[in-house]
Amino acid sequence: MTEMAIRVDGLTKYYGGAGGTKALEDVDLGIGDCEFVSIIGPSGCGKSTLLRILAGLHGHDSGTATLFGEAVTAPRDDVGVVFQTSNLLPWLTVTRNLTLALEIRHGKAAAAAADVAAMIELLNLKGFEDKFPHELSGGMKHRVAIGQALMQNPRVLLMDEPFGALDALTRDRLNIELLRLWQRDRKTVVLITHSISEAVLLSDRVLVLSERPGRLIADIRIDLPRPRDPSTTRDLPAFGDHVVELSRIMGVV
Amino acid sequence: MAVQGEKRSNPLIAGAFFVALALIWEFSVRWFGVKAYLLPSLSDIGVAFWDARGLLLEHGLVTLGEVLSGFVAAAVLGVALAALIHVVPIARSTLYPMVIALQSIPKIGLAPLMVVWLGYGFGSKLVMAFLFAFFPIVIATLGGLAGVPANLEEHFRALGAGRWTMFRRLQVPAAMPNFMDGCKVAMPLAVIGAIVGEFVGSNNGLGNVILLATGSSQTALTFAALLAVTLLSLAMFYIVELVSKFIWWRAI
Ligand SMILES: Nc1ncnc2c1ncn2[C@@H]1O[C@H](COP(=O)(O)OP(=O)(O)OP(=O)(O)O)[C@@H](O)[C@H]1O
Ligand SMILES: [Mg+2]
Repeated sequence: MTEMAIRVDGLTKYYGGAGGTKALEDVDLGIGDCEFVSIIGPSGCGKSTLLRILAGLHGHDSGTATLFGEAVTAPRDDVGVVFQTSNLLPWLTVTRNLTLALEIRHGKAAAAAADVAAMIELLNLKGFEDKFPHELSGGMKHRVAIGQALMQNPRVLLMDEPFGALDALTRDRLNIELLRLWQRDRKTVVLITHSISEAVLLSDRVLVLSERPGRLIADIRIDLPRPRDPSTTRDLPAFGDHVVELSRIMGVV
Repeated sequence: MAVQGEKRSNPLIAGAFFVALALIWEFSVRWFGVKAYLLPSLSDIGVAFWDARGLLLEHGLVTLGEVLSGFVAAAVLGVALAALIHVVPIARSTLYPMVIALQSIPKIGLAPLMVVWLGYGFGSKLVMAFLFAFFPIVIATLGGLAGVPANLEEHFRALGAGRWTMFRRLQVPAAMPNFMDGCKVAMPLAVIGAIVGEFVGSNNGLGNVILLATGSSQTALTFAALLAVTLLSLAMFYIVELVSKFIWWRAI
C-alpha cells in the first residue's frame, strides 16, 4: 500500500440540509491503491450515500473526500461506477451498452476501437453480442453493467451491491469472475454488499458501518491467501473466523 | 387455447354483425321509402363512391397534402417546444402555461381567422391541421421527457455526460414511445383540422366536396366523400402505427 487511492476524513452528510436526515456521521477511512475493500452495514445506514459522494454524484456537509489526493467535486473519468440496478439502455444491444461509457467519456472512435470481443469472452456472454437487455437474464444484465464499467479501464471501481438481487449460485459465479478480473487488472475496488461471506471472500479489508447515521465501527483486515477461489477459500478455518467476527460486530450472532 | 380470463374476439361474430347492420341499412331505406337526399341506401353510396373516384382521389390528395404537412410541422415544432420547456427553466414557467392556455381555445373557432389571414388556399388548412395535432404531441413528449428513469439519469451523470449528451442519448430515446403515442392521437386530429379548414373556406379538398355535395343535395356523394375522409384517416393512423413498431422499448 504505497499511495492512498481514497481518503475520507470526518465526512458528514445530511439529506435536506442540517436538521434533515443525517445519513453519514464523521466517517474516516483510507483505501490504498489496488486494494479491494468491502463496505457492509445495516440497510439505510448510508452505504450508497458514501459511494455516491465518492463518485462525485452527491455533495456533503462537512469533512473531506479525496481521490488520489484531489477533492471529489464531480464525476471523474478514471472512476467506474456499477449501480445496484443494472442501468442498461433498453434500446442498445449488449455490445453498444458495453461501449456506452467509453463512447460518452471519450467519443465514438474510442468506443469503436475497444476490444468488445475480449470483454464478451471475459463476461461469458458469447452469442449475446447483438441481443437487447430485455432478452437477457438478471445475472447477464449485471455482467453487462460490470463490463461497461470495466471497459473504461478505471483506476477505481465503485460497486453498489452489484449482485444484490441474484441467487446464491449466480452470485458465486459472478464473484469468481470478479476475483479473476481483479487478480488480472489490480484496480482499487470498493464493493458495497449485504453478504458477509461475499465481503470476506473478495476483500483485503472489510469496513463496517453502524446503523444510521453511518459511522465506521470496524475495519477488519482479511489475510486469506490469494488467489482465492470460492470453493477452496471458504473451507479455510480463517474464513469462518472472519465471518463469525464480522457477524458479531454486525450483531447478527 | 385461450387461458381463462384472456379476451378473444371472434372474427366470425364481428363479421356477421357488420353484415347485418349493412343489410338493415340497405333494406330499411328501401322499405320505408326514405328519401335519397336524406339517407341514401348503402349501394347508392357505393355507386356514388365508384362514379366519383376520380374526383375523390384528386381532392383526397389535396387534403392528404394538408394533413401531412400540418402533421409533420406539428411533430417537429411539438418536439422542439417540449424539449425547450423541459430543458430551459424559464420556458417552463412562461411557455408551458401559454401552451396550456392556447390549448383551451376552441381551435374550430380559429378556422375563419386563418382563412382571413392566409386565404382560401393550402396555407390556412396546413395551419388548421397543425393546430389540431400540435398540443397532443407537445403534452405526450413532455410526459416522456419527465418520465426518464432517475437511475438512468444518475448513471449518465456518473459517466460525466453533459446536458446535450444526456438529452440526445438518453432523454430523446426514452421519450420516443410517448412521442409515438402523441402522434397516434394527433394524426386523426390533423385530418379533422384540415377538413374544418376546408369547410370554412376552400376551393378544393374533401371538405370542399362534402360542402358542395350537401349544398346541391347530392347526399350519396356527401357520404362517399365522408367515406374517403375516413379511409384517409385510417390509412394515416395505420402508417403511424407501423412506424411506432420501430420504437419497441416501451417498458424501461
Ligand atoms: N435522495 C435522498 N433524499 C433523502 N434521503 C435520502 C436520500 N437517499 C438516501 N436517503 C436517506 O439516507 C439514509 C441512507 O441511505 P442510503 O441509500 O445511503 O442507505 P444504504 O446503506 O445504501 O441502504 P441499503 O443497504 O438499503 O441500500 C437513509 O435513511 C435514506 O432514507
Ligand atoms: Mg444502498
